[in-house]
Amino acid sequence: MNLPIFHDVSLEALDARQPAFFRFRQLPMAPDKVVLSNLEGRWLVLDKADFQTFARGEVEEGSELFTKLRQRNFLRAYYDVPAAAEMIRARREFVGAGPNLHIMVITLRCNTTCVYCHASRANMDQVQTDMTKEIAEQSVDFILQSTNPAVTIEFQGGEPLVRFDLLQHVVEYAHEKNEVAQKELDFTLVTNLSLMDEKKLDWLIENRVQICTSIDGPQDVHDKQRKLPKASAHGEAIKWMKRIDERYREMGLDETLYHVEALVTTTRPILDRWKELVDLYVDLGCRALFLRPLDPFGWAEKTARLIEYPRAEYIEYYRNAVDYMIELNKQGVEILERYAAIFLTKILSGVDPNFLDIRQPSGAGIGQLAYSYDGTIFTCDEGRMLHESGDDTFAIGHVGTSKYRDVVGHETVRAVVVAGQLEGQADCVNCPYVPYCGIPPVHSHRIQGSLLGRMRESSLCQVHKGIQDYLFEKLATGDEETLQILEKWTTIRPRDHFVHVPAGAE
Amino acid sequence: MTESLDAIPDTFVSVDRAEGAVSFVVDESVYPLDAIYGATFTFLDRCFVFLGRGEPGQVVITLSAKKPPVEDDELRGWIGELANELLACAWRGRILEQNRATIEAVTMQAIGGAMGPPSLDELEDFDFSEEPFDDPLGIAMSWEEKYGKKEKKGESADDSGEENA
Repeated sequence: MNLPIFHDVSLEALDARQPAFFRFRQLPMAPDKVVLSNLEGRWLVLDKADFQTFARGEVEEGSELFTKLRQRNFLRAYYDVPAAAEMIRARREFVGAGPNLHIMVITLRCNTTCVYCHASRANMDQVQTDMTKEIAEQSVDFILQSTNPAVTIEFQGGEPLVRFDLLQHVVEYAHEKNEVAQKELDFTLVTNLSLMDEKKLDWLIENRVQICTSIDGPQDVHDKQRKLPKASAHGEAIKWMKRIDERYREMGLDETLYHVEALVTTTRPILDRWKELVDLYVDLGCRALFLRPLDPFGWAEKTARLIEYPRAEYIEYYRNAVDYMIELNKQGVEILERYAAIFLTKILSGVDPNFLDIRQPSGAGIGQLAYSYDGTIFTCDEGRMLHESGDDTFAIGHVGTSKYRDVVGHETVRAVVVAGQLEGQADCVNCPYVPYCGIPPVHSHRIQGSLLGRMRESSLCQVHKGIQDYLFEKLATGDEETLQILEKWTTIRPRDHFVHVPAGAE
Repeated sequence: MTESLDAIPDTFVSVDRAEGAVSFVVDESVYPLDAIYGATFTFLDRCFVFLGRGEPGQVVITLSAKKPPVEDDELRGWIGELANELLACAWRGRILEQNRATIEAVTMQAIGGAMGPPSLDELEDFDFSEEPFDDPLGIAMSWEEKYGKKEKKGESADDSGEENA
C-alpha cells in the first residue's frame, strides 16, 4: 500500500560517533535525495552521496556539509540540548490546553443525500433526531467547563439549518452563560447552504457566526455526490457563497481573509479533474482548498465501489493539483492547499497549527469533543459517526449525567491519547516525518480494528507520507519563487472578527 | 480435514475449508503472549478465536468463521492480517517499553491539562477513608510510624553502646 522503499541508501556503515540521533527516508520521486530529521524536528534534504558520508561519520570538519549539519543540530559533539528541548516544547504547546473544539449535532436530519455521508444523516421526517432545548443547554453548560480559555462551538449535522431556531438559542444561551465562564467564544456553522435565506443570513452575520460549506467539484460531480431534491445542490451552495462574501465586503471586512470556507471531499470522478477543481475554487474567491480524501466512516463503505480509489491515485491527483496551484501563485493568484499549509507550518516554522487530526497526541478527547443530538458525548466527531454505524467505542458520557472531569479523564480518552503518540508506533519511530505527523486512533480503529493500527498498511499513513514526500521534494528542488510561495502558505492569519471576547476582557 | 492455502507457507498454517477455519502455529520465543492476545483480539468481529497449546513453546491460534463457508481469499486475508498484526504488536510492545517515559509524560500532561483541578464539590465527594495506594516500602509513612518514636538521648544504654563501638 505504501510507496516503494528504496534500498540503495542504507545504514550498514553507520558510525554513530559523528551523527546525533536522526531518522531518514529516500524520496520516492527524487531518489537521489534523502530527507533526514532529528528528535526535535529540524530537517535537511541531502544528496545521496552526502547522506552516506554523514552516516559513515566521515564529514570533514569545516566543510559546507559539516556547517549545515551543525546548524541543524545533527552532530553529536555539538548537540544543543537546551535548543532541542525548547523546540520540542514549542511543537507540543497544545498538549495540556484542554478541549477547544466542541462539535454539536443539533439534528441528524438533512435535506441533502450525499453518497458518502459520513454522518449517517436522517430523513427530514425523523424529528426524533433533533436535539432538545434542554440537551442543547446542558451541552453548552458542559462545553463551558472546558479548561481551554478559547472555545469553538461548531454546528454540524445532519443539516444544522433544519433547526435554525435551536442554533440561535445555543448561541444566545452560550453568550449568557459565558458572562460567568469568560471564554473566548467562536461559532462555526457547517452547512450545505440550501436552506439559507436572507433573514437567517442577517442573523448569522450580526452574531458573527463563521460559515463553512462543501464544494466537491464542478456542478456535474457535486450534484451527483450530493443530491438535493428538485434543485442543484451545487447551484444553491455557489449562490449563497457569493451572497455571503458580498455581505462581508459590504461590512468592510478584508476579502482576502473573510469569505465562506469550502471543503472538498475527493471522490473518484474528480481525480482526473484537478485543474477544473482548482479553477472553480479560485473563481469562487477561495484562498484555500483542502484536498481531503474520503474518510472510512458512515455510508462511504457502502458506496466505495462507486467513489473510492487507491491512495496512490489520490497522491497523483494531489501532486498535480498542488503543482498547478503553485503555478497560479506565480501568476499572482493567491490560493493555498490546506494539507500543505498544515505540514509546512510544522516543517518550516517549528510550531504546530493545532489541526486536531494531524497532531500527536490527536485531538480526540483532549482537544475536541462531539455532542450528539441525544446528548451522548464522544471523543471526536468521527467517534460519533461510528456510533451511528453501531460502534460505541468512543462514547464517553452524557451531558445530562456525566461530570466534566470524568468525561475528559475517561479510560477511552486515555487509551486514545496513548495510541495517538507516534513515538509508540511501529514504523513511525523510524519515519523522518514523525515530528510533523499525526494519525487519529479512531481511523486505525475503523480500518484495522485497533486503536494503534498498522501504519505500513494504513491508507491515512500513505496519504500523509505521500504529501510530505511531495513537500520535501519541493523544498529540496524547488526554485526560489516556489520556496517563497510555500513559506507564505505557513502564515497564519487569525479571523478575529469571529472571536467573541468576553465582556470586560476587550 | 487439514489442507493448505496458496501462497501461505504450510509450515505454520493449516486450513479446514469445511469448517471455514484456519490455524496458525506461533512460536512463543518469537512472539510474546501479549502480542498474541493483542493480534487475535482484532479478529473478534469477524471470527471466533480459539487459542490453545501445540508443541512445548508453541501457541495454536484458530480463526473460525462465524458463518461458514468462507472463500479461500478471505481465509488467506485472515492469515496474512494475523501475521502482520502479530509482528506489529510484538514490535510495538518493545517500542512502548523503550519510550514509556515520554509517552507517560505527554499523556499525563494532556489528560491533566484537559481535566483541570478538581472542584471543591468533587473533593468533598472524594473517598479518603481507604489507603490511597499500595505502599509496601513505606515511602508515604511518617518516620515515627515506620521506625517508632525516637527515644531521647541516654535513655537506652544498649543503643549508645552500639553507636560507640
